[in-house]
Amino acid sequence: MGNKKDKTTFGTLAVAMFWLVILSGVLLAVPFNVESPYQSVSTIAVTNPWGAFIRNFHYWSSQFFLIFSLVHLYDHFHKKDKIGLKAGMAFRLSIGVLIIFLAMITGFLLKGDADSEQARQILHTLAERVPLIGESLAFSLLGHPESYQLIYVHHIATFTVFIAVIIIEHSRKKYWPPLFDFVISVIGVLAFSYFFSAPLHDNLNPAVKGPWYFVGFQEILHWLSQPEWSLLLFLALLILIFLVNSLSGKTMFFSKRSLLLFTAFYFVLTVIGLFFRGERWQWKYPWQNGYNYEVLNNFKAPRVLISPEFELETAMASPLIQGRKEACLACHTETHGLVDSHSPEAIGCVSCHGGNPFATAKKQAHQNMILIPGNLATAWQSCGTTQCHPEIVERVPTGLMATLSGMISVDRFVFNEQDSPDILTNVHSLGNSAADEHLRNLCVRCHLGNPKTEYGPINESSRGGGCLACHLNYSHEAEAALAMAGDTIINAHPSISLAISNNHCFGCHSRSGRISTSFEGWHETTLLAEEMPQEKNYRLIEGERVFVKKQADVHHQLGMECIDCHHSYEVMGDGNLYAHQEDQADVQCSDCHFLGKARTIRAENLDNESAIIAALRLKNSSDKQFLLTEKRKHALVNTFIENDTAFLQTKNSGIKMALSPPAEFCSRNNAHSKLACSSCHSSWVPTCIGCHNEYDPHEPSYNMVANKEQTGGWVEFFGEYQAKLPSLGMRTDGDKTEIIPVAPGMILTIDKSTYTNDTDKSTIFHRLYAPVAPHTTTKEGRDCKSCHNSSLALGYGEGKLEYKITDGKGKWTFSPLYQRDENDGLPADAWIDFLQTRTGKVATRSNVSPLNVEQQKSMLTVGACLTCHDDNSAVMKVSLTNFEAQLQQRTAKCIIPDWN
Amino acid sequence: MRAIFRQVFFQFITFATNSIQMTTKNRRAFLKFATAGLLAFFVYIWNKLTLQHIKTSENKTSTLPLNKNKEVQFFDQYIVVNSEKGTTVFSSYCSHLGCKINKVENKKLVCPCHGSEYKLDGTVIKGPAYKDLKKVNYTTTADGKNIIVNG
Repeated sequence: MGNKKDKTTFGTLAVAMFWLVILSGVLLAVPFNVESPYQSVSTIAVTNPWGAFIRNFHYWSSQFFLIFSLVHLYDHFHKKDKIGLKAGMAFRLSIGVLIIFLAMITGFLLKGDADSEQARQILHTLAERVPLIGESLAFSLLGHPESYQLIYVHHIATFTVFIAVIIIEHSRKKYWPPLFDFVISVIGVLAFSYFFSAPLHDNLNPAVKGPWYFVGFQEILHWLSQPEWSLLLFLALLILIFLVNSLSGKTMFFSKRSLLLFTAFYFVLTVIGLFFRGERWQWKYPWQNGYNYEVLNNFKAPRVLISPEFELETAMASPLIQGRKEACLACHTETHGLVDSHSPEAIGCVSCHGGNPFATAKKQAHQNMILIPGNLATAWQSCGTTQCHPEIVERVPTGLMATLSGMISVDRFVFNEQDSPDILTNVHSLGNSAADEHLRNLCVRCHLGNPKTEYGPINESSRGGGCLACHLNYSHEAEAALAMAGDTIINAHPSISLAISNNHCFGCHSRSGRISTSFEGWHETTLLAEEMPQEKNYRLIEGERVFVKKQADVHHQLGMECIDCHHSYEVMGDGNLYAHQEDQADVQCSDCHFLGKARTIRAENLDNESAIIAALRLKNSSDKQFLLTEKRKHALVNTFIENDTAFLQTKNSGIKMALSPPAEFCSRNNAHSKLACSSCHSSWVPTCIGCHNEYDPHEPSYNMVANKEQTGGWVEFFGEYQAKLPSLGMRTDGDKTEIIPVAPGMILTIDKSTYTNDTDKSTIFHRLYAPVAPHTTTKEGRDCKSCHNSSLALGYGEGKLEYKITDGKGKWTFSPLYQRDENDGLPADAWIDFLQTRTGKVATRSNVSPLNVEQQKSMLTVGACLTCHDDNSAVMKVSLTNFEAQLQQRTAKCIIPDWN
Repeated sequence: MRAIFRQVFFQFITFATNSIQMTTKNRRAFLKFATAGLLAFFVYIWNKLTLQHIKTSENKTSTLPLNKNKEVQFFDQYIVVNSEKGTTVFSSYCSHLGCKINKVENKKLVCPCHGSEYKLDGTVIKGPAYKDLKKVNYTTTADGKNIIVNG
């Protein structure tokens, strides 16, 4: 026995660790405050490097104490001979193992972070479910839910004393470890404490996990609907340990093997729990999105620096953020420019930018930082965390601006890859077809998910950018600071707020339908930049697109901006998927310009999002009544009723204006009851005809999904841009038909063979019109003749539409301006042939069609009248009420058209 | 009289000591029995004192601000859900193991610890939990601005 005395075993190492735990624990008790554990631990980490080091020391010595104790236990098991302790001693030892785990877990609880809080709940529930004494046991172990006092008492006294007594009894009074063991233990723990820090949850990351020795148990618990049965597992383990220690023979051998088997099994579970479980304990593979954030985050505690890269005084003076201390604010002391709710004093830096709030050196603190938060790929980690805007971040990807469903579906439809233009699609599921490549080359850059990768304000060349696309604003100071940026800290931060201007929408919406430019009265020409006349009626956009001044939308002239009509659920999506813009759009002209009683909602009944926006936008929102949209019953929070009059107040500039009801003419509800407001009240719409698309394998092009240059891409040869009055089409929605403004959407040829090399179906030709929302609203509607006597409005295209009376017979004739296309024999800009019904693939929507021959005839009949009678003549006015009766009373001078 | 008493007393003592000395086995059994009794006594006292303390220290009512505009609101111990049918207050502790539920995803209340999911009416839709979220009785204050929960 003599030489065994000083032999190093895992037992003696465990004893050495135990004393180190006690020593470091006593030291750690000085800066630790049990009344606010999380705050005090994070404060230690940030402002007290020596304290942080001792915390690491306490952590590592205890982890090694546990490991060595368990290995020491196992040391006996792998031998075949018996251990043969007395029953009483074996019993106390078994209990000792349980107590060691309790001491460990209470230490884990005492850091008071998100992990600890949930672990505490689990422990409480498990203890509570012990039969008979559960309630008392749970309370005695953990105390009052809002206090850590009892946990602390047990951690530092109850369990520690018990373990000490067991050690003394078990080691036969050799409770001082050999000096050698002590020395190597100290060195080892010192090294670990220096290189690896004790974990502390930032309370933002959604993944919560127990301590490493319990993640296997967490895995087991997640299988069990009635987790109280897991208590039997603990009991069984303790009994097995007892049997191993006290018995001999077969029972002992069986117990040993069972424990060994369990250990192996538990090891696998631990690996699963540590490396393959993410948020909400969902299975997560290393190659999956978010693995680093959800799983590895657990292992990323910053190293302790005895001299941090900031002044401790500054760190001490920095504010507490959501119950924790953030080291970021020790360097970034002067950050300003954000609105109150987003200011560093309110939400710190980590809430948005990630990184490590407890690191005291720049490099570590900035690791895994989100430099530009708000992009949709990372929004769930920043803007969308539980305390902030989770319900919005969840919704945005369902919106059309994120899916681009309509754009993709129509493009595939045009390429004859899809039978309907209305199928729900998503920009994230583009394949390799000709249409999808076409989309990648020319169209899909605008989706909201397209990340913003460079600092700087949103301007006319910006595309995508997630939340930032609309909410980012640079002050002059911030922009200047950005230009000056070198190694110095930028203090002027851009703001993230509700100050959304037309410029935010402009980048994407100045293309295709061009509603942003049309709204402000700018029409794109085919002029090159160098051809642009130097006068104020011309404007250069993105350095290459030349626009000419046209009539602006009346709402723009009154000072309204995009967001004055379009509310948050339209723009950020309402959680439903929509196929086309007009489906997602909620607000209609009649929501503000209504007759009779207003649809309203009282402020106290607003949904939370609208209530917050109203409160931020209007000085006094609490007693107001807001208008509601008819379609989806959303509140328009910048409209309100005052003394029976409806008002709109512009969101950014605060201009207050009364909302006028529609003209009597519009609401008489007879002749024009089926007309959408915009079919009369639009002054122009941009049109383009004669477009050709082909694939050039040598053309330098761009992949707008991957944001990469590539060789080979689709090239668009466009024809002519013209600003014209919109044509009229028909939307059929169930039983409801509506006359809507339309414009040439896709009159084009596609040389598909250039991409597919399949010469059989080489050229595709389409003549599709598209429904439009011109955004060139006029106060006065267009005059009667602009529809009834217009070949353009009727869908025939430009040309000479004439009513000729010969021999008492009236006849409408039409001679087109443009030549007839070789593909279908229709004039280049036409939708339909004169007095013909056209069906089949006619529009970019399946529910939109041109006027059929009967409708053309009724319109032209009125048109015939208008060749003699003035728009405002009494005859025409009366005819609005009852045209048929009026027609019966016509005199011999009136010749109505003969259709034969 | 005294002498008789003395005699009886002595005889009793002798008998008692004799009987104890008679077998050490019996004495041990007695001591064990006594120890167990003592232990049981302390367990009893412990249980009593703890339960009594829980009763006295329990915060019986808590007040939560009522915001009918917000569909789901998380508080420390409660979740307030507003729907067309009215306001429901749930205990925020997952019925599986009591973790605090603090997140809604796709109109589901989700537990961070083991991934149980509940509908907004508290019914469980994904395990490990199998019991619905506990509904809590509450009253609304006269001005309609607060909820009083009776623990």
